[in-house]
Amino acid sequence: MTQTHWIGGCQCGAVRYELLEKPTGAHICHCRMCQKAFGNFFAALVGLPRDKFRLTRGEISNFRSSAEVQRGFCKDCGTPLTFDDLGEDRISVSIGSLDQHSEFMPQNQYGLESREPWFDQITVIPAYDSGEGAEGVTAYAQRLAGFAATNRQHPDHDTKDWPPKKS
Amino acid sequence: MSKTWTGGCQCGAVRYEFSEKPGDTCLCHCRMCQKQFGNFFGSFAGADKDKFRVTRGAFSHFKSSDGAERYFCKDCGTPLGMRNLSKEFIFVSIGSLDRHGEFRPENQYGAEAREPWLVEIIGSPCSVTGGYPGDDAARLQMIKNTNLQHPDHDTEKWPPR
Repeated sequence: MTQTHWIGGCQCGAVRYELLEKPTGAHICHCRMCQKAFGNFFAALVGLPRDKFRLTRGEISNFRSSAEVQRGFCKDCGTPLTFDDLGEDRISVSIGSLDQHSEFMPQNQYGLESREPWFDQITVIPAYDSGEGAEGVTAYAQRLAGFAATNRQHPDHDTKDWPPKKS
Repeated sequence: MSKTWTGGCQCGAVRYEFSEKPGDTCLCHCRMCQKQFGNFFGSFAGADKDKFRVTRGAFSHFKSSDGAERYFCKDCGTPLGMRNLSKEFIFVSIGSLDRHGEFRPENQYGAEAREPWLVEIIGSPCSVTGGYPGDDAARLQMIKNTNLQHPDHDTEKWPPR
């Protein structure tokens, strides 16, 4: 079956959106504006025509980072959601907010002038599964089950009611 | 250069400082951190809470489970950090630190959820700002002239008059 729309949203689930066509141009941007907006080493974005973007729950809050660009986020949990260049007819969404995020491997990088000097090393530093560390399974692992039981993150699919009604 | 280990959000409504250099630098790929940051991973550096203070505004938080609070600025959304509620240790997001380039991650966690192509993106084509399709010198100058992002150091008054 051909997929006709893609969906996503913020961590707490107050904001959900859908894309009426597959977004394109997946990239990361290392410029300091994107770094700071995302509190990270880069922003990861993928875009589509603005008229193919639709909110299905809640509202996006915006910070106008310069005259023609607004950056959208959820005011309830902070998740960075959009990059909206008001001079263009396209809007970008943050790849991490897409339910099918892994389908959007970036093809290009921008903002090279402020790329972190150790960026090319981030995949070779020691890596552990959740609940593990250099010493093997950590004490923290025992608490993960508890976290899962009280997880308030919206799942990676649309929901009819959110937060779930208490039974 | 900043005298202390300061940082804050994009709009400048929230500023913080540490009295010692934050440590325990790491990335976390777990889906909770991915979604908080709207990205492939969260990136963190931290210190004991008594070495940390907010110097302007306030951290907003989302209690993502009974185990953790995740911090952000309610005015611009910048992810600011997180705290495991069983510990008196606070993590800030590396990207929110003014001297972010000095915080190379030492470990990465949540490997089970790491994007399968993360290794590949490092070698993808990379251009300086202005290289994005449609960018030109006039547009870059306009952005520079109207940039509302807080600079990477403390300010006495913000926003500037």
